[in-house]
Formats: sequence, structure tokens, C-alpha cells
Amino acid sequence: MAPRNLEKQLNILDYALSSLWRRRMKSLSVLLVFAAVIFLLASFQMVTQALTDKASQVLAYTPEITLQKMSAGRQEAIPLAYRDRLAGIFGIRRVVPRIWGYYFDEVRLANYTVMGMDVREMPEGDRLDTALAKGTIPGPEEQGRVVVGQSIVKALNLDERNTFSLFRPDLSLKTFTVSGAFSRDTDIMTNDLIVMSLADARDLYEIPAGLVTDLCVYVANPKEIGTIARKISAILPGVRVLTRPQIQKTYQVVFGWRSGFGSICLLAALASFVILAWDKASGLSPEERREISILKVLGWETSDILAVRFWESVIVSGLACIVGMTAAYIHVVYFAAFLFRPVLMGWSVLRPDLHLVPRMAVGNILLILAFTVVPYLAATVIPAWRSATVPADSALGG
Amino acid sequence: MFLNPWSLALTLCSLVVLVLGAVAAKTAVRVLRFWEPGSDSNRQIRLENEIWLSSTLVAYGLGFQIMTLILFMLAADQFCKVIVGAMCATGALLANPFGMPALLVKLVGVFFYGFWILLHQLDIRSEHYPLVRIKYLALLLLLPLLVLDATLQTLYIAGIKPDIITSCCAVVFSDTPGSTTNLMTGFSQQGLLIAFIGSIIGLTVLGWTLLRRWQAWLADLYAAGWLWFFVLSLVMITNVISSYVYAMPYHKCPFCILKPEYHYFGFALYGALIPAAFFGASAALAGLVRGKAGLGGVVDRYQRLAVKVSLILLVIFSALSFYHYLKYLISGGEG
Amino acid sequence: MLIELSGVSKIYNQGRANEVRALTGIDLGVEQGSMVCLKGPSGSGKSTLLAIIGCIFPPTSGKAAIAGRQLARLPDRFLTLHRRETIGFIFQRFNILPELTVLENITLPLLPLGVPPKERKQRAQELLERFAITHRAQFPAGQISGGELQRVAIARALINNQPIILADEPTAHLDTALSREFMEIMQQLKAGGKTIVIASHDPLVFEHPAIERTVTIKDGRIHVS
Repeated sequence: MAPRNLEKQLNILDYALSSLWRRRMKSLSVLLVFAAVIFLLASFQMVTQALTDKASQVLAYTPEITLQKMSAGRQEAIPLAYRDRLAGIFGIRRVVPRIWGYYFDEVRLANYTVMGMDVREMPEGDRLDTALAKGTIPGPEEQGRVVVGQSIVKALNLDERNTFSLFRPDLSLKTFTVSGAFSRDTDIMTNDLIVMSLADARDLYEIPAGLVTDLCVYVANPKEIGTIARKISAILPGVRVLTRPQIQKTYQVVFGWRSGFGSICLLAALASFVILAWDKASGLSPEERREISILKVLGWETSDILAVRFWESVIVSGLACIVGMTAAYIHVVYFAAFLFRPVLMGWSVLRPDLHLVPRMAVGNILLILAFTVVPYLAATVIPAWRSATVPADSALGG
Repeated sequence: MFLNPWSLALTLCSLVVLVLGAVAAKTAVRVLRFWEPGSDSNRQIRLENEIWLSSTLVAYGLGFQIMTLILFMLAADQFCKVIVGAMCATGALLANPFGMPALLVKLVGVFFYGFWILLHQLDIRSEHYPLVRIKYLALLLLLPLLVLDATLQTLYIAGIKPDIITSCCAVVFSDTPGSTTNLMTGFSQQGLLIAFIGSIIGLTVLGWTLLRRWQAWLADLYAAGWLWFFVLSLVMITNVISSYVYAMPYHKCPFCILKPEYHYFGFALYGALIPAAFFGASAALAGLVRGKAGLGGVVDRYQRLAVKVSLILLVIFSALSFYHYLKYLISGGEG
Repeated sequence: MLIELSGVSKIYNQGRANEVRALTGIDLGVEQGSMVCLKGPSGSGKSTLLAIIGCIFPPTSGKAAIAGRQLARLPDRFLTLHRRETIGFIFQRFNILPELTVLENITLPLLPLGVPPKERKQRAQELLERFAITHRAQFPAGQISGGELQRVAIARALINNQPIILADEPTAHLDTALSREFMEIMQQLKAGGKTIVIASHDPLVFEHPAIERTVTIKDGRIHVS
């Protein structure tokens, strides 16, 4: 009968399906609890993964080293002249001055981020064009032209007009023309961003010539970041030197800790589910005992009954995965993971209208399977074996 | 670095496998001590039932092992993001001395589980259960392997410190002269290609001959050939095939082909190679127990099947291996 | 001889405090195509003997050959493989699974044989027609009458065309009319070449003309009267 193995497995699968259907209340309760556990784990995984992705997008555009002048423990403007003092350090590709600040719009009670920088000077600057939904990035000579993020478009009603004004510190108005808008994909970093030329930013904030808020240092070889950072701080002792790996590590520590801690909390939920699964699977009712012993007398092997139980577990966990993961995806994408707000709040980049799109790669699905299906299968295997070894002779009457 | 979903998943799977392994080992001890063929005592009936428990546990173990093997490679790919200087899984695996051994032990584990299931399937074909002792001794050997696997993996995860600078695959597998960390130097592409094609032809001819006229020594040769070919293929994938997949001459990495960017090509490639090597080698292994009572016919049938399956998988694997290479040759350089 | 037992004994829990000697030195031969009744009060060892003939467990000692195969020292798995090819069972109270349909119940023994659904249906169809229960095929077995249930149980015992039919107290819970019907069907099956062994202490069974031989079991031994 060996060549009929496939048909046999199909028959057994068929029987497992009908057996689940016969005990549908019990199956459904296990399925729903399981789906809920998977939903929690998968949502959490998707949120952290989407945030990590966003963070690495942000980091891709940060300079390898950022220099800020500190005075009395607070940041203040840094003289452009510091650039020349870095000239002697080998391995620096470019130093780009930047004015980076916040603008509080008192009319709309909103905070905008203003970045004044000659974008074309950034080594990767040209790539920024791809982040635009429309328009172009203003060049250094184009006065009064800006690129804005999506929430600025909304706040200032820039769909209908393309000029707006901001107040200088002396309350005189400075007018800007919108030359482009960032696309939604880069919301995490561009949502509230206004990019303008260095001169415009200096004009807006009335920063004296020769000063900027920080200097961005681009390094040719990423492996030399540490060395160069050390050299810079030797040359400019009063300057805070922030390196990208440092920022990256900060991100990772925050993420790693939060997601690890979250996973452990969720593992507790999983553990209680596994106990439930064990309990449900091991409680062998007299009807089930009778059914199994009848099947055995009728010629079912122990391994056939085990196969029935295996397929039952696979069907339950497979359905639970589909339901749980779909629900999680909807929760994260369309409801912006509202259940996890309290856990992930305080993560400064998470904004109320943040749009998260998790990648659903095979690896992520496998990860969720490892967290959920593996413990479930393991919890049901011994009860399944116990039920499969009900002796055939118990079907015979006295 | 345990507070990371990938590390937690791997650790969880290891714990589950260890628990299942411990239960199976307990069964093994009882079977080895108390097995009395022909007795109908309650104990013997229980032991006969426990055979099904242990075989199910090992089958689950195989499933979980394949899963953790993939998970481990994918996890390494994730870890490389936090390890400065590592740009792909190779770098992450070399971040400390336990990465590569852990991977190898996991791979060995897959074969070991597979061989055990083969033994079991052969055993239950004979009403004498002639392989019970061999089978359960082998099962006891599985436990140390599981412990080793879990230990190496835990040491590896514990040893991952985000600030250690590691070499990434471009350094490790590149053929730039003078790079000290190169894992696979001294293979000329030309020579490799000739050996690879030669081995494929050799194996096909051997397999074909075996199917027409079975000879024990030829089967052994065939199995040995597969072991050789397995190692050769791993070298070949690393040094030649992968760079054609990436369409980058200096990107030689056996792990990146598993990523979605390359359409999960690696899964197909390894998915053909590993079972092929398993079936090829198992033909000779099954031959070892052929003399046992009631197994002659069963083993014969299995061996033929194994050779056929391994040949079919060999064809698939070869087609996959040469796909990108030929595409590259035909399209004239730009993949 | 299709069923051949010599010196068969069965001891439960051997070597323990609760050791039970269920059968001692049973010699029994049943020819192909004959119909035999095992008679005896409950607890006499009748069911144990039926279980040994039915390849459910092997004897503790002695020789038991069913359809040409020695059962002694055969592991459980091979007993099962042999059982499903040779023995059709009819249980006390029929042991039909009430939530499955009549058709599903009848084809249960075919599932582990890897018989595809179409062929299963086809094979069941013949038996459903033969026992006039075709109209009940899709009914849950819990909803059909006692007489139909009995025919479903017999159809299930015949589905794999096994040469031997074993029935364990089949008429214990039936009224006289149904018991008569049962024995009529058995008689037809016997005429068709089946070998039938019925364990029963119902006079309707052991006094039935089709029964060639009645073996009385008492305290685990064959009682010669």
C-alpha cells in the first residue's frame, strides 16, 4: 500500500477537517485565542520592524559626523570658520554647514522643523530628489524657494496656493514659494520639514553671517568614523561630536530594549495560551476515546491517528496565523497600531498621523511562526500521542 | 544580545527542541533497557506505543530544525545591522567564533534527523523491528548534538556585541590578494567550474549505472560522491554562483541569495541541494542495514527510490546553478 | 483452516498483583465459509478470544494463525495491517460514530488504505444498494433507525471485502425482529463465502440453523458439553 501514501495523507487530512468541524465550538475557541496571541505578537513585530525601517531611512541621510558648539552645556551657533580648522584631517570628504531649527506657528499652534542647507552639497543630496512627490529641491541661488513635507502642505493649505509666509523674530514677514513637496513614503523624517537654502534660513532666524547651527561632516570610509571623530574633538575641544554609529546605537538600544521587553510580555501571553492548548488537547473525553478505539479496530494505525492530530494542529495554527497576521497588518497599517501607543509612545519620531507600512518578508512571517506555531505544535504533540495510543480493545464490549 | 525578537525566537525554538529531545531520550533509555520482542506484557505494549511518540518527536524535531536553520541565517542577516562593519549575514556570523560552528551543527542536525527518520521508516517495515537498538542508540546520540546546537547558538547570541567591528562578506570571500580573513582562497573559478561540471556528469553516470545494475560498492561510491559534491557545491555557490546571482563580481556570499532582493533564489538552490545530498548519501546508509531480518526487499526498494530522487534533484540543482551564469553569458555581461 | 488456534492462553498484567488469566489452552479451528458461535456468560473470556481471532492483540502463549498468518510475537502495527485486510468487525451496539454520515461511517476503514474519495463512494454505493439504505447515505448516523444502523454496521464490516466477519454480541440490544434480520443477513454472507464468528449468548443466535457449531467458553476454557 506504499504507493498510496499521498492519497492516505489526503484522506487523513480530510478526516481531520471533518473532525475539527464536528467539534467546532472547541476548535473555534482555541483558534480565536490563538489568533489573538498571534495578532498581538505580529502587530508588535510589524510595528517595531516598520519603525526600524523608517529609522534606518532617516539615518541614511544623516551625516556621518555632526558638530555642534556647546556653551554652558547648551547648544549654540557654531562659527563657519571652524570648517577651515578641519581641513587638515585626512579622510573627510566634505563639511557642509547647516541651520537646523524649529518654528512655532502661533496661528495654527503647530511646530515645524526648518532645515537650511545647500542640499546639492550633500554627497547623497541628489538622491533626495527621489523622495519628492513633486517639484525640485531649490538650489543655493534660488531665494525664497522651499520644499515642504506632507503635514505642512495640509496645515498651510498649500494644495491651492504655493506661497506662504513665516515671521522673523522681529515679527516682519518672510515669504516663501513652494517648489516641491516630499512624498508620503518619507513621512517619518519629512512630515513637518521645510527645506530651504542656507541663506533663507539665516534670514528667517536672523542668524549672523558666519554662524550656523551645526556642521555636517561626511567621511569617505565608514570604518574611519571613530578615528576622525577623535581627531575633530582634539582640534575643537568645545564642540560636541555626534557620530552616526552613536546615533544608530541609541536607536537600536531603544528599539532593542522596547521590542525585547514587549516580546517578553507577549511571551507570557503565549505561555498561557500554550497551557490552554495542552489542557484542551489532553482532556480526552469518553466520546473521543471511543472514536479512536473504533478507528483502531477498523484498521487505523497509531501513526494514522497521530497524523489526524497533527493535521488538526496544523489547520488550527495555520488558520490562526492567517487570521492573526491579517488582523495585525490591518491594525498596524490602517489603525496605526493604536493598541501599542502606550508602549511605543515616547519614541519621539512616532507622530499621531504616522503612516506605518511593514514589509511582509518570508523572514518576518517565519519569525512569527517560530514564536507561535512551534510552541503550539510542541504543546499538542504529547497529548496527541496519548490519545493515539488508546488501545483498540476498549471498543469491544464486556 | 538576547533582547531581540530574532534571538528570542531562536532561543525559544531551541528550548522547545531540547524539551522534545529530552522526552525522546527518556523513551530511548526505556526502550534500550526493557525492549522484549514477542512479550505481551503491559510494559512491552507501552514501549511499542512509545516508539510512535519518539518517532513523532523526531519528525517534529526535523521540521523545527529546518526552520531554525533558516531562522538562524535570517537572524544573522538582521544582526548585521547592529554590528558595525558587517554588511550581510557572513559578517554577522563571523562576529564571534561561535557563529559558523553553530550554523554547521544545525546543518548536521538536519541530516542526522533525516537519517534517523529513514532508519525508523525502514525499521517499521519489518515485523521484527530489527533496528530498534540501533535506532535508539542513535537517538541517544542526538541529545548531545541538540545540547551542542543550543549551546553554540546561545554563546553566539550572547557574544554579539553591537560595537565589535567584523568583516563583511566582501572581505571574507573576496579574492583580493592579501586579505587575511578570506575563508575560501586558492580556488580558481575555472578549475572549480570544471570540477563542478565533472562531478555532475560523474554522479549522473554513476546513478544511471546503479539504476540499471545495482552493485553495493557502486552505491558506496555514489554516496561518497554526493558528500564530495555537497561540499564542492557549497564552495561553488559561494565563489561562483552567488556572484552571478548578485551580478556583482566581488559580492560572494552564500547567505545573501536567501534574501527577497534576489527572489529567495537561495531557498530553491539549497532546497534542491540539501535533500539531493541527503538521498544520495542515504542510499549507501540504508545498504548498511540490509542484512537485518525482513529488510532486504524494503532496503532495495528504498535505495532505488533514493537514487532516482537524488538524480532528479541533481538535475534541478544543476539547472538552477547554471541559470544565472548562462543568463549572464547570453545577455553579454549585464544580468 | 482460515482460523487456527492451538494451546492459546492469554494472561493480562502478567507477573503483577492484578494478574488475570483470561484464556487457557484454547484449541479452535474454523473452516473457510463456515459460521461459528462463541457462547458463554460475560467474563468467561469470550471477548478476549474474539479479540485474539480479530488480531487486536496477540496471545500470551500458544499458536494463533488467522488467514495463514501467525499472530504470536507480532507487533501491534502488523496486527493492525493484517486486521484491516482480513477482519470485518461488527460491534456490540454497533459503535457507529453518530456525527458522521452513513456514507462516512461505512467508508471509515478505507481512509488509512489511501482509497480516493471517488472509489470510496463507489464501493459504498454497492453496499448501500444491497442493504437498501441508499436514501440514508448523507444522513448523520445518529438520526437513523435501529434496523438501518444495524445494516450500516454490517456494510462497514464488508467494505474492504475482508474474508472473516467477527460480531461481538450483535443482538444484545436488539428486538427479536431485528435479531432475526441480522441472522438472515449473516446467513446470506456465509452463502457468499464469508467466514463468520459470532460471540453471543442469545438463543436466537446460537440456535439459528445457519450456525454450524457452537463453542461454549467457561472460565477461559472451551467447555465440552
